[in-house]
Amino acid sequence: MQTKLTKIEKDKPEYIEIFCHAVTDEVREIVAFVKSRQGQLTCTADERQYEVAVGDILYVESVDNRGFIYTKAKVYETRQKLYELEELLAEKHFLRVSKSVLLNLMKVRAIRPALNSRFTAELITGEQVVITRKYVPDLKKALKGEK
Amino acid sequence: MTLKEFLISRVRLFFILVTLILLATSILGGIVAPEQDIKYYQLMSPIVIAGLCVLPTCVTYFKKEPTPGQYFLRCGIQLILIEAVVMLFLTPPDGGSVSRPLFYVLIGVTVLMIYAAATALLWLNKYRESRELTEQLKKLQGEK
Repeated sequence: MQTKLTKIEKDKPEYIEIFCHAVTDEVREIVAFVKSRQGQLTCTADERQYEVAVGDILYVESVDNRGFIYTKAKVYETRQKLYELEELLAEKHFLRVSKSVLLNLMKVRAIRPALNSRFTAELITGEQVVITRKYVPDLKKALKGEK
Repeated sequence: MTLKEFLISRVRLFFILVTLILLATSILGGIVAPEQDIKYYQLMSPIVIAGLCVLPTCVTYFKKEPTPGQYFLRCGIQLILIEAVVMLFLTPPDGGSVSRPLFYVLIGVTVLMIYAAATALLWLNKYRESRELTEQLKKLQGEK
C-alpha cells in the first residue's frame, strides 16, 4: 500500500482517506489505530460495531486470546491485542496490572492491600481488579509520574 | 515482589520480631521465673531468636505468582518451622515455677501470638502503602 501525505491549510479539517481494493483485516487495523489515537476504539458487541471513547473504558482484559473492553454499561470485544492497546493507551493513563488486564487508572477509586504482595484496584463501579506483584513496581512508577 | 524487596521486608520483620520477643520475654519471664536474674549477654537472645525466626520465613518467597492455596500452605510451613526453631533454642529455666511440658506449651502459644502480631504489623504497613498509592492516584486524577 502506498502512502501519501499532503499538507493542507489550517482552516480546513484534517482527514485520512484510504483507497483499497477490499476492506481487509489490515485496513481495519489501520482504521482502528487511527481512531484509537483520536481517543476512540473500534469494537464489537452483539454482532454490531461500536466506537467506544477511551475515557469510558474501565479496563481491557484478554481471555483466551480474545480482547474484551469493559465500560460501565457494556462489555465489548476488540480485535486488537493487549500489547498493542498497551502501547496505544499508555499516554491515556492505561497501565498493565496483570498478565491479562490493562487498567484505566482514571477509573480507579482506591487501591487496597491483598495477599502476598498483591494489591487490588477498586474501580468507580465497585468492581475489584487484581494488581499482581510483578506489576506493582510499574504502578508505583506510573503514580509518581516516572513512567 | 523482587528478591531485593523480599530481603528488605525480612529486615523489617527482624526488627519487629526483636521488639515483640523482648516484650514477650519480659512478660513470660515474670510469670515463669520472676526471681531469676538476667545477665548482660542474655540480652542478646531476642536478637538471636529473631534472626533464627526470620530464616524460616524465606519459604514464603515465590519466584512466580502463587495461588492462595500455595500461599497459605507456605505460611503454615513457615509457622511450624518457627515454632520448631524456637523450641529447639529455648530450654526451661532451672527452678522455674512451671513444669517442662507447660513451659513448651507457653512458648508455643507465645510464638503463635508473636507471629500473629508481626503479621498484623506487616499488614498495617501494607495498608499504609496502599493508602499512599491511593493518594498519589487521586493526585494524578486531579492533574488531568
